[in-house]
Amino acid sequence: MPLRRSTRPRAAAVVVAAAALFLAACTSGGTSPDQESGEPVAGGTLTYASGDAEPSCLDPHVGGNYPQALVATQYLESLVSLSDDGEVVPWLATEWSESDDGMAWELRLRDDVTFTDGTPFDAEAVAANIAHVQDPATASSTGYLALAKVQDVVAVEDHLVRLELSEPDSALLESLSQVWVAMESPKALERSQEENCAAPVGTGPFVVDEWDRQESVTLVRNEDYVSPPGDVEVPDGGALPYLDTIVWRFIPDSASRYAALQSGEVQVIDNAQPDTIVSAEEDPALEELDAPRPGAANRIELNAGKAPFDDERVREAFIRSVDVEAGIESLFFGTAERSYSPLSSVEPLGLSEPDLFSVDTDAAARLLDEAGWTERDAEGYRTKDGERLTLDFPVSTNQSIPAEQSLFEQIQADARTAGFEVRLHPLDLSSWYETLAQNDYDLVSAPYTKVGPDVLRILYHSASIEPAPSGYFANLAQVDDPELDDLLARAASTSRDDERASLYEQAQRIILEGYHILPLYDQQNHFLHSSSVRGLRAMPTVSTPTFAEAWLAS
Amino acid sequence: MSARGFRPTVAEALAGVVLVLLLVAAFWPGLLAPGDPLAVSRTEAFQPPSLAHLFGTDESGRDIYTRVVHGAAESLRIGVLATAIGIGLATVLGLVAGLGPRWLDFGTTRFVEVLFAFPGLLLALLFIVVTGPGVVSSTVAVGLATAPGYARIIRSQVRRTASAEFVEAARVLGRGRFWIVTRHVLPNVTAALFVLATLGLGQAVIWVSSLSYLGLGAVPPAAEWGAMLAAGRTYIANFWWMTFFPGLAIVASAAAATVLGRGIQKRNRSAA
Repeated sequence: MPLRRSTRPRAAAVVVAAAALFLAACTSGGTSPDQESGEPVAGGTLTYASGDAEPSCLDPHVGGNYPQALVATQYLESLVSLSDDGEVVPWLATEWSESDDGMAWELRLRDDVTFTDGTPFDAEAVAANIAHVQDPATASSTGYLALAKVQDVVAVEDHLVRLELSEPDSALLESLSQVWVAMESPKALERSQEENCAAPVGTGPFVVDEWDRQESVTLVRNEDYVSPPGDVEVPDGGALPYLDTIVWRFIPDSASRYAALQSGEVQVIDNAQPDTIVSAEEDPALEELDAPRPGAANRIELNAGKAPFDDERVREAFIRSVDVEAGIESLFFGTAERSYSPLSSVEPLGLSEPDLFSVDTDAAARLLDEAGWTERDAEGYRTKDGERLTLDFPVSTNQSIPAEQSLFEQIQADARTAGFEVRLHPLDLSSWYETLAQNDYDLVSAPYTKVGPDVLRILYHSASIEPAPSGYFANLAQVDDPELDDLLARAASTSRDDERASLYEQAQRIILEGYHILPLYDQQNHFLHSSSVRGLRAMPTVSTPTFAEAWLAS
Repeated sequence: MSARGFRPTVAEALAGVVLVLLLVAAFWPGLLAPGDPLAVSRTEAFQPPSLAHLFGTDESGRDIYTRVVHGAAESLRIGVLATAIGIGLATVLGLVAGLGPRWLDFGTTRFVEVLFAFPGLLLALLFIVVTGPGVVSSTVAVGLATAPGYARIIRSQVRRTASAEFVEAARVLGRGRFWIVTRHVLPNVTAALFVLATLGLGQAVIWVSSLSYLGLGAVPPAAEWGAMLAAGRTYIANFWWMTFFPGLAIVASAAAATVLGRGIQKRNRSAA
């Protein structure tokens, strides 16, 4: 089918990029100026209520999902961080340089930092951490994929480390800024995995004190904290962090979570529901922090690895028959904007192609006819050789908020009109992973957060159809295209910015024009907090909130 | 039994009306609500109750009144089936225990007592953990979970009937065991069974809704009361009607079944 090509997408990409910068400037900074007024007060206990699944391990090296990142940001720190405008800034590493051939990086480390168990932070510690992430026994997924090109780590001096690569990696520093590869005490890593999962030891502003499973994690102040990221202005006297204790609770039910915030039982909640965000706007006692996650946009992946989506015409027919835009508008109350890109709107290199996703039910019907799905059965579903056009859609109830699940129901209703039978299977996280591992899905929506466009390599390179040590494979659309593989590999190894941008644009074009994904919106990351909480901001890396500079006004 | 015994109280009359409405809704939902319970209308999402939408609309603009009416079939069918499974199983157990040899009675009774030690819903959850969630398994689960309670009552009824003089007489006349069970024992247990079934129906509707509410029964977008309640829960702060009306349907049907069951029980007792 001929596609209408226009030059508008390019303009749209620029607009999106500009909007992204603007958003990043507004939101990643977190706090508005009037909040900053008043002198920070030391002390107090803050209660945070998380709606994400409770991690089964507090060490984000193991597995590596967003709930782990949220809590680990409070006690672990990375080698580098990002500033609000996306520049790499020093953190546990003070300066770095890339070798001329791009095959090695040297990082100079801070020499005044110790882990909270007294172990000094040095080059050996960095080597031990990278080895831990790469050890198959750790069962890392996110960190493992991010560090895939690191071949060897050499402690050149006590506080100078060299990372030797298998091929140049333009995304290395961005990868290292993520909490999934944060630095932990090598002595603590030598413990059994069970012990380390219960209380990882880092250099961060807080220390894991106690984990009451199914209930809460208690974090206490690190009295010797010295190492905030490079973009933080340390106040006189080095008083960071201000809070004495953080109680990190798990309240999976969104209505209870919001009620707990309203009653003052907790001061910060995540995964705020769209309708409550809107009602909180009118409440002077509540504030919102909106921090869209970097990396991939939330999208529905179409499994090209098996029938019926191994046929591009069927994929296009599905995408042409569902109206996502109207649903997003009504379900999200204006808190989410439709995406037409594989990448988050905070990624400057995102390519947006709205034309590919316009609803066209006639075209959908024609495509299905061409693909041989010509008959209809008694219930109105299309069939081919007596087989019904059925799509299995496992939904993780831990990762998809109720509004998103409702959106999937609407998609189901639209697709039904076109003759697809979409079967929604609401599942808890572990059953969901299991279903994916068994390739029992045609549609799936899986969030994936990573700093920078290199996330495309992780999600759509054919190598990612192979499971990581954790058993998870990231290429859920099962895109297997040598041309795309080549573009992604070249983009990751080039050091020229313009070439990198053009390669990523071509790669995204292949993904979008192949109808492998149905982009929905940025990964929603809305926090609501009591207005007594000041100095809260989201890390510019993976948008997790940090309490290093937060304090409670009386 | 005097004619006065049949005159219903106000509560019973109301309960009767509710049950009749439920039956109509279950068998001919189109009569009460001609619309499609799954019809999505995004522009009409989150509308409060009005003349156009008696019970308001949900997050996808589906009419809640239509969904509640069409949900009756699903909820009642599961409720009736679950009760039938429970009572069927209990009848077998009760007959075995009531008529079998001493050791069999002892074994069956102990087994039922062990099951009885678990709270019913826990038993149902255990079953679902083993078989996986879904409408079929939640129906069977509720049936299994209610069976021990019925079995105990049926066993004592069977024992009482079996030692009655007319059964003794039949045995003396040389009637076979099967003939005695079907002609004498079962008919005498039926009255009690009927009451149990009516009372049990109310309970089964609640349990089935609970399982769907927990995400273990009907899956979206089915118009099942428990599932509707679960979906509306998120929006309870701003859109009360999404949970209120499905909840009302559950309460009304359970209450109606219980009131009627108690009424029949009372009359049976005074007639005896």
